[in-house]
Amino acid sequence: MTQGGRARGTDRRTFLKTAGAVAGTAVAAGFPAALRAQAPTVKIGTLHCVTGPLAEPGQACRLGAQMAADAVNAAGGIKSMGGAKIELILGDTQTKADVARAEAERLINAGAQILMGTFNSGDTAAVVPVAQQRRVPFLVDISAADPITANVAKSVRDGQQKVQYVYRNFPTGTLFGQRAVQYFTEIFKEAGVSPKRVVVMHANDLFGQNQARGFQAAHKAANPSWEIVEVISWPEPPSDLSTEVSRAKAAKPDVIAPITRPASAQLLLPEIVKQRLDIMGIVGPGSPGLYEAGQIAALKENLEYVMASNPWPNFKNPRTRQVSEEYAKRSGGKTFDTNSGYSYDGIFVLADTLERAKSTDPDTVVDALKKTRFTGGLMVYGGPVIFNEMGDNPNAIPAMIQILGQKPVVVWPKDVAAEKVVFPRPKR
Amino acid sequence: MDLTLVGQGLLSGFLFGGVYSLMAVGLTLIFGVMRVVNFAHGDMMVWGMYLAWLLSTRAGIDPYVGFIVCAAALFLFGLMIQRGLVERIVDAPHEMQILLMLGVALVLENAALVAFGPDPARVRSPLSQATVWMGPIFVDVARLVTFGLAMALTAALWLFLARTDLGRSMRAAADNPYGARVIGTDVRKVYAAAFGVGAACVGAAGALVSPILPFQPTSGLGLSVTSFNIVIIGGMGSLPGAFAGGILVSVAESMGAVFLSPSMKELVSFGLLIAILLFRPAGLFGKTAG
Amino acid sequence: MKLLILLAVAILAALPWFAGSYLITVMIFIFFYAYLGQAWNIVGGYAGQLSAGHAAFVGIGGYAAALLSAHAGISPWIGMWMGGALAAVLGAVIGYLGFRFGLRGFYFVLLTVAFAEICRVIALNVDAVGGALGLYITFTGNPRQFQFQDNRAYYYVAFALMLLATAVVRAIERHRFGAYLTAIRQDESACEALGVDTLRVKMQAMILSSFLTGVGGTFYAFYLFSLQPNAVFGIPLSVEIIIRPIVGGAGTVMGPILGSFILSPLAEISRTYFAQGGWNGLHLIVYGVLLIAVVLFLPQGAYPALLRLARRPPA
Repeated sequence: MTQGGRARGTDRRTFLKTAGAVAGTAVAAGFPAALRAQAPTVKIGTLHCVTGPLAEPGQACRLGAQMAADAVNAAGGIKSMGGAKIELILGDTQTKADVARAEAERLINAGAQILMGTFNSGDTAAVVPVAQQRRVPFLVDISAADPITANVAKSVRDGQQKVQYVYRNFPTGTLFGQRAVQYFTEIFKEAGVSPKRVVVMHANDLFGQNQARGFQAAHKAANPSWEIVEVISWPEPPSDLSTEVSRAKAAKPDVIAPITRPASAQLLLPEIVKQRLDIMGIVGPGSPGLYEAGQIAALKENLEYVMASNPWPNFKNPRTRQVSEEYAKRSGGKTFDTNSGYSYDGIFVLADTLERAKSTDPDTVVDALKKTRFTGGLMVYGGPVIFNEMGDNPNAIPAMIQILGQKPVVVWPKDVAAEKVVFPRPKR
Repeated sequence: MDLTLVGQGLLSGFLFGGVYSLMAVGLTLIFGVMRVVNFAHGDMMVWGMYLAWLLSTRAGIDPYVGFIVCAAALFLFGLMIQRGLVERIVDAPHEMQILLMLGVALVLENAALVAFGPDPARVRSPLSQATVWMGPIFVDVARLVTFGLAMALTAALWLFLARTDLGRSMRAAADNPYGARVIGTDVRKVYAAAFGVGAACVGAAGALVSPILPFQPTSGLGLSVTSFNIVIIGGMGSLPGAFAGGILVSVAESMGAVFLSPSMKELVSFGLLIAILLFRPAGLFGKTAG
Repeated sequence: MKLLILLAVAILAALPWFAGSYLITVMIFIFFYAYLGQAWNIVGGYAGQLSAGHAAFVGIGGYAAALLSAHAGISPWIGMWMGGALAAVLGAVIGYLGFRFGLRGFYFVLLTVAFAEICRVIALNVDAVGGALGLYITFTGNPRQFQFQDNRAYYYVAFALMLLATAVVRAIERHRFGAYLTAIRQDESACEALGVDTLRVKMQAMILSSFLTGVGGTFYAFYLFSLQPNAVFGIPLSVEIIIRPIVGGAGTVMGPILGSFILSPLAEISRTYFAQGGWNGLHLIVYGVLLIAVVLFLPQGAYPALLRLARRPPA
């Protein structure tokens, strides 16, 4: 095949093709976003990873957001703005940072005045500069990596940026760790037992590592009566966890603390049973894979009595139960949980902010956001939704959920518990 | 060092090698005969797994029986791909071949996503939790069965290539396509059959492995990379190579998980791959032709 | 025809002044991936040594610049050359091992994949470089830190990078070096028989290619502000790098550029129009089918097909 060196006489074709492609792209992408529509709608760009390896939680987030928007509109929209309806413009990050960035721009181009998303911390970080550059308020509904807001707060403090446009209504990795250690200690005390040896087993991906580190750091700071004797991780997704579980067994654990994803949980839990680990229980510091409807269906009795400290909807609130039923219908039987719940609450937080801001001007919205004291959320919170100087909500807390009777229920803290915690787990 | 742990690691690794071998057999056949690198290998296997899952959940057919259906379905698919796509670019540059199979992989992965959703699935089989204990060490029955089936499948394929006319034509075409044409072999038909049989192996492997490995639409890439590793280490185009390579890689990874850190076990298999590529690129059982 | 090239360049240079930010972002990615594809083209297209592990160089370049900026206060404008140099070192190692031991075709492909995966696993597990959390770069918008408040500045940087790489490849094509590369690609044994030091030539191509790719890594880091081991060392990025030159025509000057101008808009359009409904993933099926179609109907690449079309006698 001989090409090359003959670029001369045919550049016209290439040029026309190039120009055509550019023009075509311009038409398809739309020239500068034209006049924003008057009164009736507020456009919120909703950006999640609905395809790619994290498609399952991404799709849950999107559905949660859509349901919330429908609910807000059904109740009359943003009353202080003449009943303006919320319109969601949907975006897919494909679980890739560069796509996330391009999608954020596309949504803003299509008229989005506020952004919400994206679930995966790595992709969320790629959207942050867009929010700062274009001055678009960005509410992170789910992403635990501390730097996402901390970096922006720092650059505002250092005077490199004027205004912080990025806010997060979700626990940070640090907060997850602190609460997990706290719940572990409290639950052991409540059960009247003192397990000494805890083995942490975690997926070696972004979330898993972040959680594991946060848990270990919090443990060191709190110095409770139980020790983390070993930390075992695996590449996610794993094909085989038999050696990892063998290693855990060799460390003579009283409690296994797993941080998984759905795929690894499906391998880990049966393996723990197969290798006959003699433990008081499986208590997770917080991760997916241990409570979803699909996981319960796949793991059945292997998941019974397993606990995980996750952000969870507060089912003591009758509204939550209603929404959860509707969610089950619209999603084909899935549980209303961490992801769908926080995306749902995210839209409501934004609606509340807009009510107070009475406008979509970015700086006005940010001012109103900073002053938020929202109590209408469906999740378990430690207080009203507020935003601190980092832009995070310190009242967004996880709760310890346990699979009892093949259903996930909140068992700790006591004031939001639906049932009594079962620990140690009964012998088979 | 905890000897029980090492012993268990060796045993678990050895048995899991059967799973790896199954994955590699179909790939080595396709490359050995046609010199086509099937980048859609992992995604085809995922479809085999999903078909087995469908049979298990909708028709109650156990994957250890249903794998025949999966093999047949993927055989047809392989034929289609070969006749419809691969054949047409047989003279195109290598990179086009790669691009073609990448496109097929992308379509397969997202078709699975649309059809089955993003949740990981696993096929339950009565053997799922069965274990046999020998003192402090245990044997995972499901893996033992899969190991046996991997041996059986490799042996069956070996017989096919050695004893049947079609098999012998495949080997002839693999060694010397021009010569094969000269003596009257319909090379096109042989290639189609090779791709089909290779795909059938991949489908069977997927079905047989589905009770052991949880899978999602995006599992394909990881399976492809692992399979390529095994096939290179064992020797491209060599059936005993795929079998031995599978066991070697699995044991190496298991020992890596025992002695280093489990999250670094992939480094062991890649290190092994590089060593083989440099010092014996034909692989352990391959013919030195490079 | 130089006039037409200049015209195209002028139009593209003027584009940011009348285009919206979304279009500018799309163009930035077109230019950036064209740049990476052009860098790959040197060793993968012209020399015919297919590498499917070029993401490793992007990762090394990006991580190096980000870490130097965060821990040593070195501006990425300087850090990018150091990142490129580091990537070139890895490229030299891979090249030497591969070429010295005579790995050709698919075996070389797999060697490059293995090295990229090793880099990925190391980055994932070494806390000092961020581990699985990756590196998050603070957005300051400060040009001294290779960051810009305005998207348009990034546009010009990406555009300049693409032009630079294209100029390099064009120069190679006219130089004896380019002739060596093409000859090696067509028949390496014959080359050796004629006395060409194929090892040295291939090494030079590999080092140049990996250096340029590493420099690109810095752009990636300071445009996306997020470096994740799986994203930046992973196979999907390597695939993104190679499909553009392959579609456009590997081993041609305009190939990577044309390929990028075809594929990036296609991806955007298929995502805009096919990703709305309940069928998540449909837009990627469409994209995959398009890739297959390109292979079937343009088996030599888009640019050579255009050349043939233009050379057909009129009517």
